[in-house]
Parts: sequence; C-alpha cells; structure tokens
Amino acid sequence: MVTQTEVQTVRSVLNERTNRQLLYYLDTCTRCAICKDSCHQYVTTKDVLYLPAYRAELLRRIWRRYFTIEGRLIPSNVEAHAPTDRDLDLLYKTMYACTVCRRCMYYCPFSIDTGWFTSLARAMMVALGRGSQILLELADAAIMKGENIDMFRDIIKDGLNDAEHSLKRITGDPEARIPTEKKGADILYVALAGTHTILPMAVIFHEAKADWCLSLFEAANYGYFSGDVSRACKVADRIVDEAKRLGVKRVVLPECGHAYKVLKFLYESWKAEELPFKVLHAVEIMNDYLQQGRINLKPGSYKAPVTYHDPCQVGRNGRFYEEPRNVVKASAADYREMTPNRAKNWCCGGGGGLVAESEFDYIRFKGGEKKLEQIKNTGAEIVVTPCETCRLQLDGLREHYQQQFKISSLMDWAIYAMDLPGKPDGWEPGITLE
Amino acid sequence: MDWFSYIVAGILVYVAVVVFIGGSIFQIVKWRRSCKTSIKQGIFPKPRGTMRFLKLGWDSLVFPWVIDTDAWMWFFVIGMHIAGIGLFFGHLRLFGDPGFLLSTVGEGTLNNLGGSVGAAIGIFLFVAFMYFLIRRMKYPYKELSVPADYLLLLLVLLLILLGDHLRLTHAFEIDSYRTYMASLVAFRPEYPTAIEFSPDRWVLTFHVFTANLLLLYFPFSKLVHSLGGWATNLMRSE
Repeated sequence: MVTQTEVQTVRSVLNERTNRQLLYYLDTCTRCAICKDSCHQYVTTKDVLYLPAYRAELLRRIWRRYFTIEGRLIPSNVEAHAPTDRDLDLLYKTMYACTVCRRCMYYCPFSIDTGWFTSLARAMMVALGRGSQILLELADAAIMKGENIDMFRDIIKDGLNDAEHSLKRITGDPEARIPTEKKGADILYVALAGTHTILPMAVIFHEAKADWCLSLFEAANYGYFSGDVSRACKVADRIVDEAKRLGVKRVVLPECGHAYKVLKFLYESWKAEELPFKVLHAVEIMNDYLQQGRINLKPGSYKAPVTYHDPCQVGRNGRFYEEPRNVVKASAADYREMTPNRAKNWCCGGGGGLVAESEFDYIRFKGGEKKLEQIKNTGAEIVVTPCETCRLQLDGLREHYQQQFKISSLMDWAIYAMDLPGKPDGWEPGITLE
Repeated sequence: MDWFSYIVAGILVYVAVVVFIGGSIFQIVKWRRSCKTSIKQGIFPKPRGTMRFLKLGWDSLVFPWVIDTDAWMWFFVIGMHIAGIGLFFGHLRLFGDPGFLLSTVGEGTLNNLGGSVGAAIGIFLFVAFMYFLIRRMKYPYKELSVPADYLLLLLVLLLILLGDHLRLTHAFEIDSYRTYMASLVAFRPEYPTAIEFSPDRWVLTFHVFTANLLLLYFPFSKLVHSLGGWATNLMRSE
C-alpha cells in the first residue's frame, strides 16, 4: 500500500524534475511503439515491460494524474492514476533494467529520450527509499573515500608500486613513474579501480612523453547509475576538486562510458559552473597520440579477425566513432565491422549499472543476445571495446553462452602493437597486462 | 438550418477554431515557460549550423530510420501525412479556386482532378487508420494504449468515413459547399437549399461535427506531437 507521504514524494519529484525537455517528451509520445524493435531487451524477451514507450508510459500515467488537464478531469480516458505498489514495483524493475543506451531515441520518429524517464524514475525510487541498494552503497563507498582521502593516500600510493615496477619493465625505462598529485601537470588521468586501466595507460603516456599524473580516485560513478544526482555530484566532485587543486589543463577519463558522460555532459549543468579544464576520453587521447606520431602501432600486428564494439556512451552518446577505429585498424590485419554499427549499434546489454546488480542478471544476459549475435556474425576472434562495463558484460556473455571470443580494451590493443622491450612473454590483448 | 446543425456545424465551428488556436498557443507557451536545463543530450553525430535545421526538417517530416524497424508503419504514417496535406488543399477549394489555377488548368479539369485525387486520398486514409486501429489492438501496442488512443482513432475514422461518403456519392455540388463555407466566413452559418433539403445533410452535419471535435481535442491530446515533435527532434542534435 502506497502511503500518502509516498504519493506526496512522487508528486514532488515529478514536479521538481519535470523540466522543459522532459515536458516535451511527456506530451509528444504518441505510444506508436516504433521504438520496440530498437530495444535489445524487448527484442530478445518480447516482454512489454522492456518496451521503451511502455517504460515511459508507466511514469506518464502517474504524471498525467497530477499535471494534465485531461488527467485531472477524465483520468480514465488516459489511464491516469495515483501511484500504486504495482506501479512502483514495475518502475523499479523496468527502469533499473534500462541500460540507458538511447538506441530507442535514435529510432523514435520524435527522438524521445527514454534516458530522461529512466533518470526521473530512478530519482523517484531513491526519494522513496526504494532505490537500488547496491548502486547506492557503491556510490556511498566512493564518497566516503573522497571525504577521507588522507586515510587512503598512502595505501593508494603503495598499491601503485607493483604497477610502477611493471611499467619500468615493459618500457625498459628504469626512470618510468606513475606520478600522483603533480601540480601543474598537463593531464590528470582518472582510472578505474584496479591496475588494469592504470598500467596500460601509463605505458601509453610514457611512450607519448606526456606530462601527466594519476588521480587518487576512480572514475566510476555509481551515484549516477543510482539516479541520485546529489550522490553523483559528490562522486564527481572528488575528481573535479583534485583537478582544480593540481591546476591540470586536461582531465582524461579511462575507457569507461558513463564516467565520461557525467563529467563531459552533465556535471557543469548540475553544478551550474564551468570547469576550468578540458574533459577527454581515453580514446580521444590515444587517437591524438597516434595521429601525432607520438605512439606508433605496427600495422598487421594482430593476424586473427578482430571487430570493434561501439559502447553506447562512447559512440552514440559520446561522439567517438572513428577515433577508436583508427587505433584498432592501425594494427589489425583482418578488421571486421559489426552490422549495424556506430549510431545504430546494439547495446551490449550491461550498461546503466546492470553489471553491478545481480538481481538483473536474467535481463542482462537475455538482452545481450543481440550483441552476441552481432559478434558471432563477424566471425571475429577478438572484440575490442573501450568501455569497462561493456567488457564486463561481454565477458559475462561469453561465459554464460560458452563462447570462445576474446575481449580487449583499446589501450591493451594499442600496447600489443607498440614496439616495447619488456612486454610479458605470450601476452596478448584479452589478457590483463600486469 | 435546423437547430442541431446550426449548433454543431455552425456555432461549434467558431468555438473549435478558437480552442484549437488558443489551446495550441497555450501548449507552446506552457512548454516555453517551463524550466529548461542546460544539459545537452543529443545523439551523435550532431550537425551544426544550417545542417542542423535541414536535418530537423528531414527527421521530422521523413524519419527515415523508421523504415528499418517498422516499414509498414512508416508507409502508412508518411502516406497519412501526405494525404493530410492533400486534404488541406482540397478543402481550401471550398473557399474558391485561385484565379491562376482556373486560367491555366480550367475548372472542369480541377473538378475532375479533385474528384479522383480526393477519392483516392479518402480511401487511403480509411485504410491507413484501420491499420493504425488494428495495430493498436495487438500485443504489445495494446498494453501501452489508453482509451484516448482508441477514441481518437475512432473519431478520425468516423470523420473520414463521413467525408468519403460525401466525396464518393457526390452528395453535393461544389457550389453548395462554397455557399455554406461563405456563410461560415460571414458569421451567418446556414445551409443552402441543396443541402438543407437533402437526406445527406446529416452526413455533412456529422462530418463537420467530428472535425470540430478533433479541433477541440487537438491541443489537449497526443496530437500535439505535430508541434512538440519539432522541438524533440531539434534536441536530438543539441
């Protein structure tokens, strides 16, 4: 039973979060459901719960009850109603399952962005105390680290020792370092948890002779996934504050889709401030170094067929289609494109926080079948993709469906084709570089 | 003119036009007065400058990507919109033919052309809206449909059927319609004798009535997609 207080909370979230963009979307959708065949989750399950327009409609029926003339006067005509437990359960199930890939927006004749509805529903869930617990806990852990960085500083730096040894061995340079807290550096590189996104990028920065330092924080932002903007801001604040404190010119985000989206496209609007540094994605800087000749990739280094997966947040929502392809093609002997690709590419099925939420494993694996089909159709032996979530999801799909293909990050792919004296024997893309 | 026709095909015409224009303005003002966030969340690639507006026109009028996902729906929707433009210009003839058309094409040709094209449009629209109705009654569309969706489709189907009857049976000569339209423009609505004493009078009365209902409902229904769609498609490139 939904209490009056909960109804009030729903109304106030709807009232506060319904901006002009969302209002256009709310009023314009005609429920034509052309979007149905664009959603990997609907296409693979045929369950209306995962149909983009239905996801939005669940929310719109509640919104119409309180904010439209028709919904107030003749609610039954538009099925406008106060939120029920069933509504909230369905909203949780469908909106936290949405990967926010925005492929439905591409195919909608009105370009309606289901991502706005997803954010609104998740914010509503958080306000009601019904948000995804795992996402909120992960966000809180990141915020706690930010608030107590003095406690973690030495642990982080000690943890980098092994990576630094590997860097020296791989590059053959005994002076190679992974600098942290370097004032006035050109680049602040924000990695993900674990050294798998630190060491390869450190090698690339070293070879490109970049003036860089590593952030003490990780880029992942579970606050954003949870739907809680205040938590998402706090998680991102740690990086922004560090970049400001060090006075860096550029912040480079790792091969991660949503972290780039948050800092590049959302943060300035959320905080109503202009960032004093540029925000770049790792694929951008790798492509720049390649084009400038600061790193050299040996053509034809990788003989077996390779394909590239466009992460939704890097491609369709992030603008990088050709940059990562340039890096992949520079050393691929047999490059094969997936169909469809670029803006029309199918989502891997793990975005929106799904890879962290085991309760959504069914839809994550089922929804991933379209991507699996695409990969199989290329006949590629390895899939390169510059997004941690995509890699985790593809790895999960490979195991779940007992497939043989390998998965590589773009930075590992680049390093494989670079002439480096100390690369581990037998190491190749698809194996973590250590 | 009997009192019922005088109300629904006379007075209501003015009310419908006022509500349609006023309601549409209200809707646009409501959108424009709402708080706009500075978040730009279009999808890439995002064309700039003139290309952005050319793309807006192309996206809003042709939406070619729909062919990939639902080719039949695209065919009927595009056909419906083209037919709608044809209908609009066809009905403009009820106010009189432009002089240059009369001098170049001739009234007889115009009448013949109007008759055959009008009939084709009417039949196509009936088929298209039947397709929309049947489609909506099937899974998964019925799951997200609301009564208003069906009522709107039924209203439009009724409007089309009545119009088709008038067109296909040649119920009235064009001059009779023009006399009626002229009376509306002069704010003295009345049917000419040819309509007043015809058994088809009720078909015309209900045709105008359903058209009025559509205009009255337009600004408060999902039909505002014809206005909002431009803004949402523009946001695609923001």
